[in-house]
Amino acid sequence: MKNPRLRLSLRQKEALSGYLFISPWIVGFLIFTIGPMIASLYYSFTDYDIISPPRWNNFANYKKIFSGILPAILNQDSSRLGDPIFWQSLKVTLTYAVMALPLGLIFGFFLAVLLNQKVPGVNIWRTIYFLPSVIAGVAVALLWGRIFNPRVGILNPIIEAIFHVKGPGWLGDPHWAVPALVLMGLWGVGGGMIIYLAGLQGVPTDLYDAAKVDGANMFQRFWHVTLPMMTPVIFYNLVLGMIGTFQYFTEVYVLTSGGSGGLGGPVRSTLFYNLYLYENAFRYNQMGYAATMAWILFVIVLVLTLLVFRSSEYWVFYEGQLKGKD
Amino acid sequence: MADTSRIQRVKQLLFGARSGELMSKSISTLILAAGAVVILIPFAFMIATALKDASQVRGDPLSFIPRTPVTTEVNGEALPLYEVTLDGTPRQLALLKNAPGRKGIFVDPAQPAQTYTLELKPAEGPKPKPLYKLEIHWENFREALTTQPFNVYFMNTMIVAFVGGFGMLLSCTLVAYGFSRFRARWLNVLFLLLLSTVMLPSQVRLIPIYVLFQKMGWINTLLPLIVPAFFANAYDVFLLRQFFMTIPLELDDAAKIDGANPMQTLMYIMLPQARPAIIAVAIFHFLYAWNDFYEPLIFLHTQEHWTMAVGLQTFNALYAINTHLIMAASIVMIVPPILLFFFAQKIFTQGVVFRGIKG
Amino acid sequence: MKTKSLWLIASLILIASMILTACGPKTTPPSAGETQAPPAGEKVKVTIFIGMGTGTDPEQITAENALAAKFNSTHDNIEMEFLIVPYEQSREKFQAMVSGGTAPQLVGPMGVETSGQFQDLWEDLGPYIQRDNYDTSDFYGPAIELNKTADGKNIGLPVGLYPSFIFYNKNAFDAAGIAYPTHDFNDKTWTLAKLREVAMQVTMDANGKNATSSDFDPANIVTYGFDDSWGNFRDWAVIWGAPNVGRPTTADFKTATVNAPEWVTGIQWYSDAIWVDHFMADGTALSAIDPANGDPFAVGGVAIWKSHTWYMGDSLNDLPFKWDIAPAPYNQKGEQIFNGDADVFAIPASAKNKDAAWEALKWLVNEENILEMCKIYGCMPARKSVAETYNTTLTEMYPGIDTSVVFSAANFIDVSNHEGWVPDVGRVNEILANALSKLMTEGENHDAQSLLDETNAEVQAILDEYWASH
Repeated sequence: MKNPRLRLSLRQKEALSGYLFISPWIVGFLIFTIGPMIASLYYSFTDYDIISPPRWNNFANYKKIFSGILPAILNQDSSRLGDPIFWQSLKVTLTYAVMALPLGLIFGFFLAVLLNQKVPGVNIWRTIYFLPSVIAGVAVALLWGRIFNPRVGILNPIIEAIFHVKGPGWLGDPHWAVPALVLMGLWGVGGGMIIYLAGLQGVPTDLYDAAKVDGANMFQRFWHVTLPMMTPVIFYNLVLGMIGTFQYFTEVYVLTSGGSGGLGGPVRSTLFYNLYLYENAFRYNQMGYAATMAWILFVIVLVLTLLVFRSSEYWVFYEGQLKGKD
Repeated sequence: MADTSRIQRVKQLLFGARSGELMSKSISTLILAAGAVVILIPFAFMIATALKDASQVRGDPLSFIPRTPVTTEVNGEALPLYEVTLDGTPRQLALLKNAPGRKGIFVDPAQPAQTYTLELKPAEGPKPKPLYKLEIHWENFREALTTQPFNVYFMNTMIVAFVGGFGMLLSCTLVAYGFSRFRARWLNVLFLLLLSTVMLPSQVRLIPIYVLFQKMGWINTLLPLIVPAFFANAYDVFLLRQFFMTIPLELDDAAKIDGANPMQTLMYIMLPQARPAIIAVAIFHFLYAWNDFYEPLIFLHTQEHWTMAVGLQTFNALYAINTHLIMAASIVMIVPPILLFFFAQKIFTQGVVFRGIKG
Repeated sequence: MKTKSLWLIASLILIASMILTACGPKTTPPSAGETQAPPAGEKVKVTIFIGMGTGTDPEQITAENALAAKFNSTHDNIEMEFLIVPYEQSREKFQAMVSGGTAPQLVGPMGVETSGQFQDLWEDLGPYIQRDNYDTSDFYGPAIELNKTADGKNIGLPVGLYPSFIFYNKNAFDAAGIAYPTHDFNDKTWTLAKLREVAMQVTMDANGKNATSSDFDPANIVTYGFDDSWGNFRDWAVIWGAPNVGRPTTADFKTATVNAPEWVTGIQWYSDAIWVDHFMADGTALSAIDPANGDPFAVGGVAIWKSHTWYMGDSLNDLPFKWDIAPAPYNQKGEQIFNGDADVFAIPASAKNKDAAWEALKWLVNEENILEMCKIYGCMPARKSVAETYNTTLTEMYPGIDTSVVFSAANFIDVSNHEGWVPDVGRVNEILANALSKLMTEGENHDAQSLLDETNAEVQAILDEYWASH
């Protein structure tokens, strides 16, 4: 008797294997992730103070955020904005992202290139640079609060000694608070350095040898071998760095928890998007509004990520990339 | 003509193969050293603070040296001791009280009846210097670790780090392999969905997730911290997927011709090639489990289930000045991850030499 | 077939990992005590949520656990357990527990502001007090009043009071050659105007000149005369005696009164103090003399420091200068308003075993234990009958300090409290904090009237929004 078996084509088998391999994630997604995500989307259309059940309010939250944009853009008239604090928080976050992301990428990459060389004691150098990213957040915040002290902290006396300019008020000064945070973040750039190192280690040395044989010098080898081979890792850091800087929260929360101006720093100069979201969710009893903010951020980050992914066709090089979709 | 050869020789000297490498190495070492000093200054400050006691932290928070003013007992009161120059001779006098005009009223501890009024910041001549003695509080380390049951916390942290780490490695390698080496209809969309899970701020998912775990009965156990790790997460899958995609397909094909199924290809071809990435991912997970206080804090109620990071967090209580204990505990907590990193470098630095492909 | 074996392997792995996790943490069995009703005759659990205020420091945890042990040894049918949550995460954890149906039985110690944020959540203890004929006469008046909502609901039993007064740095006064502030609560010459005078004389720049001198250098101030930086906008405004005292709205909560004339006078006084008279620090200077401890007084940066009992701690005894406490000044109307707080423990209405919670609460604030609680939390006990005993403890802890100031100041706590509830209280307080921040950081003197008019409009918008949907 011939058993009628389902004959799968090679393509179908490959697809099935693919799905099988990613099934752990799918299962986890269905159990742990999708429920809360949909719940939060639902909240964004409600007034929800957590104590009593959510109350449907149509698009009221969205309306509040987006009302008054046109007069603000066209006539510079910000008095009609439904929630000016929302736009302040977005501005603060964008300012931070624009500074922190490129600096973080560049510093991290060049640090890894430096640490990839066979200089004496390289293991110790790497450990030193890695050290800051290991220290617990609360200790880092306390440390840097002292370093940033405008009068007798460590930073300003150095600035005065080298540049002969009086150092700024850092965290106490609305114009310098965000740069201060960027600086603090750069201290921990060694954490991401590992990924670059792993990538650099993965560049096969026979490529370098071949290049040397062809007469390439140090810079040419860097430009034509190292950099292209590293693009997958750079892409990773770019995407996740972008997602991360937009959601910057923990460090600034610990730092500004008790300072003047409350949670947003002096004159709301460090009121990051996630911080304002957090305030709405847990301090103002407005979880619905917080959910609205969360999903707006989601859309922003998703669009940006898609753009980066699209662009990756032009500058990211994978040696083992599959051609064709299905 | 002689010039061109000289130029060529200089070029050879600066950028030529061997000496070029030497120069680049020296410059690198110099830059690294300068950077290391900058990196280590806050850390030195951390150590200094860890060695002070509470009143030093409160009254003298910015000094790099744990010191207290030297005091002496005069008429039942403890007064700070200064080194002053009286009539040309240096003497040690105690400061009784301040006086207007930036002066101070000093007394000789041996003869308290006699008072001297001296300028604290004279326009010329030596000014009175407060005397400090070095007071290092090594016991801060012991105190920080024993006021709370850090040994219990340590066990909990280890369980989360290692069981969770195992689950993470298992699931993330499988999932990343699926996303990188197979063609399927919706795989790209699913990958984007995977990434999108970290784009939504976690604050708005907190309540639903808590209620979910509450209904499963997992609150106040370590399960919410461990079980999700067995179902892969966006960061590690993304990283591994990037690394898998740098491995040439020819290796896969060769394995297929030899009759390997996908699982075998994963285990014998992909994983060895991606070893630095696997190590990186393992280190990251360990670090995350080690330092994460937020999730343990939300899901764990009683102290016996806390992790080390939660214990550290409680030092930072409202109105409490525990900076010295926070620093001491933090320093101790740095040691295991640093050791792990230091020794993991061995595996790290075994770079890939050949791809194993000819031509 | 190859796919089949793949299936097999994958599912085996999944199953294995699930088994592993289920077996893994054997040391942590799920605790279902809070969700199941215990069978009759068994122990009822009372979980006390600590973290909305102070109480989460390791030393305090040890003391709290000792208190719980003491209770458990004398109560067979109730088990008391403290649940510690660090302050920064306490609100979200509390709300998560409430929405998960596992509200803790008691929450505290909470100041008026915090209990106000969750006003609708608390059980009204009025009926319990009546049912048991519980005698509340031993509690200070303000302690009870501050914890009643606008519609008379009594949301908790008070643990302690935190009256405010001034701490002063004797060395700074010596260096300026001025007499120390009076300790006499009836000395009517000690007004805000006098405070300004004294503060200016005590403010010292790097050259030893004080703020009244003509060569004073405001860019190089070493010691500031006065500071109240742990206080927020309403702390600063309440002492000026407006009709609504510490509340930025009318009694019906519908109209904002941020620009009340008394408050304008007050805010102008502070603005002048910072930018014209230079005896108060601005934002930048504050972050300079206040190096991340948030403590300008202990480093000797401030001569007169307005604060509450919670500032006092063990490490204050070893400061490198001599200090004492004294009454805060009379205001410009000749009144004494010394803003204070009262901490309570409250019972969430959705918690289970509320009767057991009520028993535990009564035990915690009885005459014997309230002293222990106040030692842990640094407050003045809310019971008049233990004032003597507490005074003895204080004088032991702080030898040489005039502890009577603490008790006298309790008589003048602002009842329309500076932390009291208003609609959307979180948002309103944030707007006020932002106004204060503008005052302190924008680099120049402010016209208080226009600043407060602006702020008033913002608060009014919030009130209007609230009443539109309530």
